[in-house]
Amino acid sequence: MMSEDYVLKVKNLKVNFYTYEGVVKALDGVQLRLKRGDTMGIVGETGCGKRVTARSILRLVEPPGRIEEGEILFYDKDPETGEVTEIDILKLSDEEMLHMRGNKIAIVFQDPATFPNPVFKVGDQIAEVIEIHQDLGRDALEVKIEELEQALKADPPAEKAAQIDERIREYKAMLDNPPEPGKKYRKKAALRRAIQMLRMVKMPAPEQIANQYPHELSGGMRQRALIAMALACNPSILICDEATTALDVTVQAQVLRLLNDLKKKVGSSIMIITHDLGVVAETCNAVTVMYAGTTVEATSTEELFNNPIHPYTVGLLKAVPKLHEHKDRLDQIRGSVPNLITPPTGCRFHPRCDFATEICSKEKPELREIRPGHWVACHHPQGKI
Amino acid sequence: MADVLVEARHLKKYFPLTGGVFRKVIGKVHAVDDVSFKIYRGETLGVVGESGCGKTTLGRTILRLLEPTAGQIFFEGRDITHLRGKELRELRREMQIVFQDPMASLDPRITIKNSVGEPLVVNGIARGPKMREMVLSLLQKVGLNEDHLNRFPHEFSGGQRQRICIARALALNPKFVVMDEPTSSTDVSVQAQTLNLMKDLQDEFKLTYMFISHNLSVVKHMSDRVAVMYLGKIVELNPGDIFERPLHPYSFALVSAVPVPDPRFAGRAQILKGEVPSPINPPKGCRFHPRCIYAQEICSQEEPPLRDVGNGHLVACHFAGELDFGRSAQQEYAEAMENGGVTA
Repeated sequence: MMSEDYVLKVKNLKVNFYTYEGVVKALDGVQLRLKRGDTMGIVGETGCGKRVTARSILRLVEPPGRIEEGEILFYDKDPETGEVTEIDILKLSDEEMLHMRGNKIAIVFQDPATFPNPVFKVGDQIAEVIEIHQDLGRDALEVKIEELEQALKADPPAEKAAQIDERIREYKAMLDNPPEPGKKYRKKAALRRAIQMLRMVKMPAPEQIANQYPHELSGGMRQRALIAMALACNPSILICDEATTALDVTVQAQVLRLLNDLKKKVGSSIMIITHDLGVVAETCNAVTVMYAGTTVEATSTEELFNNPIHPYTVGLLKAVPKLHEHKDRLDQIRGSVPNLITPPTGCRFHPRCDFATEICSKEKPELREIRPGHWVACHHPQGKI
Repeated sequence: MADVLVEARHLKKYFPLTGGVFRKVIGKVHAVDDVSFKIYRGETLGVVGESGCGKTTLGRTILRLLEPTAGQIFFEGRDITHLRGKELRELRREMQIVFQDPMASLDPRITIKNSVGEPLVVNGIARGPKMREMVLSLLQKVGLNEDHLNRFPHEFSGGQRQRICIARALALNPKFVVMDEPTSSTDVSVQAQTLNLMKDLQDEFKLTYMFISHNLSVVKHMSDRVAVMYLGKIVELNPGDIFERPLHPYSFALVSAVPVPDPRFAGRAQILKGEVPSPINPPKGCRFHPRCIYAQEICSQEEPPLRDVGNGHLVACHFAGELDFGRSAQQEYAEAMENGGVTA
């Protein structure tokens, strides 16, 4: 095994939704482990709980939903000392949680048409996140120096030039130990960083885009702006909640390529929530497969595609129509996703499973390491073991 | 050659754009712009393209759900472009549509029996117990049973609802069905069931499909021939395998952008520069030229006609057949799979 440097561990997470029809057991003992620097895909169909899991990590589950049980452990690494502190997200106060959201853990939502606030400029929205979370002392000084240098270029009288020169030297000396900037310069510094972020996500003409409103951008550009916003504070974890689902294939390819490039640049661990196994193969090095509120399989991407072990994963891989195949019929998984108010007993997949036996309807299988680095929750594992 | 069931000749559909206080027409959205094609009896014509390329408008215009701006539509050799009244109603029996969102196309306050039976009643084919019997046999065809007759749409899952819509489309025994993104709102495992069902029904009822989707793998699975649309035009009509032999640079980019479900082929997509231009002011010449890496002088000036490059393979490109796109990850993946397989 590699060194166990995890950035996030979710242990035995249970979330219920209290609706009029009954209690929806949306998550029933979800397990997740995200290594530092990894890109992990969370795959599953509608109602498997992938989105609830992501929202739980940010404590964004809204009533009637409630997190009932479990631990969400976040390992905060100090960038200078390298020291790691364990934080249980579920035990934080609301105020401490505000500091986590957007700063340590950021999320990009599915629908870029609804998320950015339509009445604020793109640049201002990104700058707001930066202003709230980041220490901008140094940036503000740099902005001041830039402004003074601009003033110098305008050819002021000799006396004034000397004064400006003096100020520049003064500010440069303070760069390593900057004072708290005033409100005006905080704003300017934040906007400057926002533009840098837009440039990083390869937005054409970032200065101009920052000054535009969300409706002036196309879907792909909005999604990029959202990624820029999410990465603005250099979060330890970036969660992409179906970030490319609403996009066309060619634009999706652009955004996925961007994510792949950014992964190398920023040190964030990325969690990609998707129902598309192709997206996982394209971007992730680890996968967790979920079904009806449980984790059924977790391993590296390569291992999952070469050797799927859980019958649900096997079925899912077969059910996708593939470009190269000439098949008359697709292999289908019979039945449909169960109602989670009255979920099946034992293994939640057993009514749809071809390999189910008596034990499957009685006992819930534990998630165990069947092969090195390959975790499966099944009584009758398939594939190479 | 098999006989032609549906034919479109120089079909155009523009939507006017109004503006100002007096709602003056200030421009036109060229949703479908001079499209011609034939659909043969018993085949499935797939239509792919990105959002805004006009594929849905094309499907609806063919069925006369939208009035064409110009051009002609033929059904079984008869010009149906200007049919009205009773004749049009009779024609509607022959051609049906299944919409993308099954929840929006079923009335939430009407039972499934009445929803599926409505076309039978409206057309005076059956009512009362006879209608019930016919509806039941339709529901059984799509895998539902008697218990479901008196339920309401909200009691069904997405996949079941889509099957109900399919049953309703088949109620009048049509010859031609337009499937407009029928599985884009369903999950993979349910999608497989729906696609299988549609193929079974096609064989049983001798149906002709026009299958519209943005999902290339699904279109390929379902179709005999595939038309690729870009900005209101058909840029390629491929009689064989669009994925093995795309000849239009846009088709190739589209195919190459589909992620391959194998991590070893990651990062191979050909990335198109920019985004789809506005259909209000489409680019001059070849509409794809501002994004095409092979574009030459001629591409920005002359619009390439859709021409036959052999075997009924139609391509609208000045350099069709002369371009070497290299090999896509999809092609290599396919080969790897044939040579013993990569996955388990």
